[in-house]
Amino acid sequence: MASHLDSNVIPPSRQREVPRQGMTWIGQSIKRVEDPRILSGKGGYIDDITVPGMAHAAMVRSPHAHARIVSIDTSKAKDLPGVIGVYTGEDLATVVDPCPSFASPPVPQHAMSIGKVRHVGEVVAAVVAEDRYIAEDAADLIEVEWDVLPANVDIEASLEATGDAVIHPDDRESNSALDQTFAFGPVEQHFAEADHVIKRRLRWNRSSAQAIETCGVVADYDAFKGGYTIHANTNFYNFIPFVIGGSLRVSPGELRIIPVLAGGSFGSKVFIHKIIILTAGLARLAGVPVKYIEDRMEHFMNSDSHGSDRLYDAELAVMEDGTFRSLRFTVLDDYGAYLQFGVGTHGNAMAQVTGPYQIESVGMRVIAVLTNKCQQGPYRGFGSEVTNWVIERMVDATAEELGRDGVELREQNMVQPDQFPYMIPTGNIYDSGNFQEVLAQAKGLIDYDAWKARAAEMRTEGRCVGVGLATCMERSVYGPTEWWSLNDKEAPGFTLTSTPEGISARIDPSGKMFVTLNSPMVGNSPETVVTQILAERLTVAPEDVVINYADSQTGFNGVGPQGSRFTAMIAGACVSASIKLEERLLRFAAHMLQRRPDDLELRNGAVGVKGLKDQEKSFGEIALTSSFFRLSFPDTEEFDSGLETTAVYDHPISSDPHPDREHLGIFYPIVGHICHIVAVEVDPGTGKVDILDYAAVHDNGTIVNPRTLGGQVWGGTANGIGSTLFEQFIYDDEGQFTNPNFAEFAMPTANEMPRNFKLGHVETPSPFTEYGIKGGGEGGRLGAPSALTTAIEDALKTYGVKINSLPVTPPTLRGLIRERELAITAE
Amino acid sequence: MKPAKFEYSRPDDLPTVLALLADQEDARILAGGQSLVPMMNFRIAQPAALIDINRVPGLDYIRMEGDVIAIGALARHADIQRSPVIQSNIPIMTEAYDWVAHSAVRNRGTLCGNLCHADPASEMPALMQLLEAQMVVASHTGQREVPAADFFTGTYETALEPDEMLTEVRIAKPAAGTGWRFEEVSMRKGDFAWAACAAMLRLEAGQIAMPRVAVAGVGDAPMRLDAVEAILTGQAPSEDLFQTAAQTGADAIDPPETPAASAAYRKDLVRTLLPRVLSTAAERAE
Repeated sequence: MASHLDSNVIPPSRQREVPRQGMTWIGQSIKRVEDPRILSGKGGYIDDITVPGMAHAAMVRSPHAHARIVSIDTSKAKDLPGVIGVYTGEDLATVVDPCPSFASPPVPQHAMSIGKVRHVGEVVAAVVAEDRYIAEDAADLIEVEWDVLPANVDIEASLEATGDAVIHPDDRESNSALDQTFAFGPVEQHFAEADHVIKRRLRWNRSSAQAIETCGVVADYDAFKGGYTIHANTNFYNFIPFVIGGSLRVSPGELRIIPVLAGGSFGSKVFIHKIIILTAGLARLAGVPVKYIEDRMEHFMNSDSHGSDRLYDAELAVMEDGTFRSLRFTVLDDYGAYLQFGVGTHGNAMAQVTGPYQIESVGMRVIAVLTNKCQQGPYRGFGSEVTNWVIERMVDATAEELGRDGVELREQNMVQPDQFPYMIPTGNIYDSGNFQEVLAQAKGLIDYDAWKARAAEMRTEGRCVGVGLATCMERSVYGPTEWWSLNDKEAPGFTLTSTPEGISARIDPSGKMFVTLNSPMVGNSPETVVTQILAERLTVAPEDVVINYADSQTGFNGVGPQGSRFTAMIAGACVSASIKLEERLLRFAAHMLQRRPDDLELRNGAVGVKGLKDQEKSFGEIALTSSFFRLSFPDTEEFDSGLETTAVYDHPISSDPHPDREHLGIFYPIVGHICHIVAVEVDPGTGKVDILDYAAVHDNGTIVNPRTLGGQVWGGTANGIGSTLFEQFIYDDEGQFTNPNFAEFAMPTANEMPRNFKLGHVETPSPFTEYGIKGGGEGGRLGAPSALTTAIEDALKTYGVKINSLPVTPPTLRGLIRERELAITAE
Repeated sequence: MKPAKFEYSRPDDLPTVLALLADQEDARILAGGQSLVPMMNFRIAQPAALIDINRVPGLDYIRMEGDVIAIGALARHADIQRSPVIQSNIPIMTEAYDWVAHSAVRNRGTLCGNLCHADPASEMPALMQLLEAQMVVASHTGQREVPAADFFTGTYETALEPDEMLTEVRIAKPAAGTGWRFEEVSMRKGDFAWAACAAMLRLEAGQIAMPRVAVAGVGDAPMRLDAVEAILTGQAPSEDLFQTAAQTGADAIDPPETPAASAAYRKDLVRTLLPRVLSTAAERAE
């Protein structure tokens, strides 16, 4: 039977290192090699950077959500001793052009506002001064006259805005930035054939990661060469020159971006292009190097990293026996005042929109809504955390309406182990998996049946105890078509197709292996992972591996830690480099040992003759001889001095979207699977939720380091608990951001985390990546919200509370309970 | 997020502190700095001068003076929380400290500084009213005592004059047999209270005597609930009585409406918490 997916052919696997049992280093929980220097304060973060003659910048920010700038008086600020310069958006525009955009058509944005502000916290003027104190004093002296315009805050109301309320009136007549409809498969037909159509209106509110370190830049303009030297804690330092070169009016090669250790990202530091452009422009205007570190309020209000803010009207077409047929929805997403990457977060979500279930078709209308808020950016999950929650909500709703057990309904519709690689209606594939085994392990870990029985018994005693279970997908190793595949049909401004990751490696005459990465450390474990993979593949001792980071001019391809890609991609680069190095090691050693390369093997950091224990040369001896004693080897090119190589790994399996978007191609194919089960008790009088027990089982394929992967699951679960119970950016009716601080934006602390977190792993190796590794960087945030929501509803069964919006803070939950109390009393 | 300019001095004795306080325009005492310094960094507070009292010896005491517990201006929350004098004489204070901020803040922050900051959602100002503490206030011209009930005059406002400093808090030891309870609801542990309820009472021949009930987080300043105390006095503890007290308490307050928590929610919390604190206090009373 013809299918819309017929043109989407799965390419053959390029896997070289097949998954296997009993590896020496891969799979070991070695301690993180990054930790000693970081824990002893020697890490070197952006605020540790000083360069000679460096000045400091402070910003004047908009107090209004939407206003025209009538005038800016900088005279008093300019007169303050210690001030080097004061600049407005017009001044900055003399040296920089508007910010880049992946959106098509783009929504114009300036690093510093010109003429108008569109959200609270937007920069309208900057002071460069001898120190940050003086810069902030001077910023206080700048007087701005405003013409306040109507603020758009509500996601639905903003679509109706006209006149002065339109946020970008020169480019768009309304606050709808993009409105696209897609059908992946015969959606209408499947709905027509369905016995039941389950409908829900679901709301996911905005928050962001708030890493402990904010974003920062130290920029210096070289007036003679015409380029910039920039230290920045971006995730993406090898690509960012290509993204921002145009804005800075230089070629990418004239931008030297030097990475620093970043104090956490969780997506928030993927680009940071706006403050790089801003700081670089200020350095050029002021004629001195400039440091700008966002303070916490600035990071909250203007960092372009707010997470998804969506309203779904979702429908699931279901047969009488519980079989799922089709999913369709209209989603409004409040992107804020700008649209830096279009609807990339929805592109991402299309990678696993059907969850672990067999659903034959998917229909979507996505409307990107502009409002007077900070624009969205990446946050752990990148939009898929929302669709995971939506599909799990729909499954629970179906179970309720059909009178079925939710877990049994999940099992009935799950993809079976023999169906992989499994192509979902959007065209993405699930490379491998065993969802049933993950479910079984999670149930066993927490003793699910016993908890269900205990919770039911406790409810009969009047306590509000419940158990929730979620089975979710954890796509990894992103393909960059997600950024633009759902944009309008015009070609976007900037596309990528393979997200290459490179590495260079050299075994030096001392026997050390020096490795240079092209992606920064952002709190993940790149050095640990690389050490373990090289130790595995080349048999070197981990302590002999020394890792450094290239800058954007000395390095080459690197896309950085994002989209749960880094471990799988760098593993590929490590294997590529190892193959090249092994070839040279064997060639030199064969000559030194007077053997054929085929007779030799790598063992314990040496090349030895197979079967002869005492006949071997250490890597150090080989490197020393090959580097310093060229004349010991034949006079042919293949014996050129030294043991070094560069290598790159391209995305293991991806394809382009269909030209008419009948499908989106393969773009996020290395899928993990997760099952979270949680038991909670709700205090109905206060709305407080107490997590009694928690089990999380993740299948991330072959595990490189269980300790570091466990950290990702734990940390992601903390994010997920925050998104479910605590965290929400609250903008009031005037568009004021009411809680941009750690006192009022409530991230969970150790006190709010489950006391007995049970972590389990299943390892279903990928058939496409080296060693079968899958990514797991987004971890628990993709599962915790669904499991917790279900558990809370279960706990409040006697009240009949329904949760259709997150977060459910104690006041929100108490409000839902109060409504039900009143309704029950009325009955 | 840097403070505006300010003068800074760090005297070694109290008379110098008080003299500086009198001499300098818009000066503030710096003790633990756990509220003041963040507010200065946000430039919400821009005092012209800070007088750091951390080098003044002999202000960090927590001691019994007869039936009174005296706590000095530099006594840190963490030391008070762990003090055997407090644990054995004012156990409700130890219990309430469970809700006060986090250990890093308690290690540095002082009780007196906390009281002078007078955040209406803070635990200790409410507790001082419950305990009917006396605030010893000094200036370069002398000393006076202000009852807690008169000390907290509004949000971030106290009865202190600009040249005055809170040097000591004096708390009479509660009578033997007093039952007590402190409970609170906040977003997370350590956050400011959405609602906190504290109760102390005695039982005389099975009837409630001298009940005291205080709340925080539900008004411009922490307050005693006189109407609730009146209902309880002379009655035998019962679930019905406590429910009535809870409704009376909820009716007596006019809580703030904030983006995170509505006034209705805070009233709900008082309705929920009051019966809980009263029943535990009654159980603990001898």
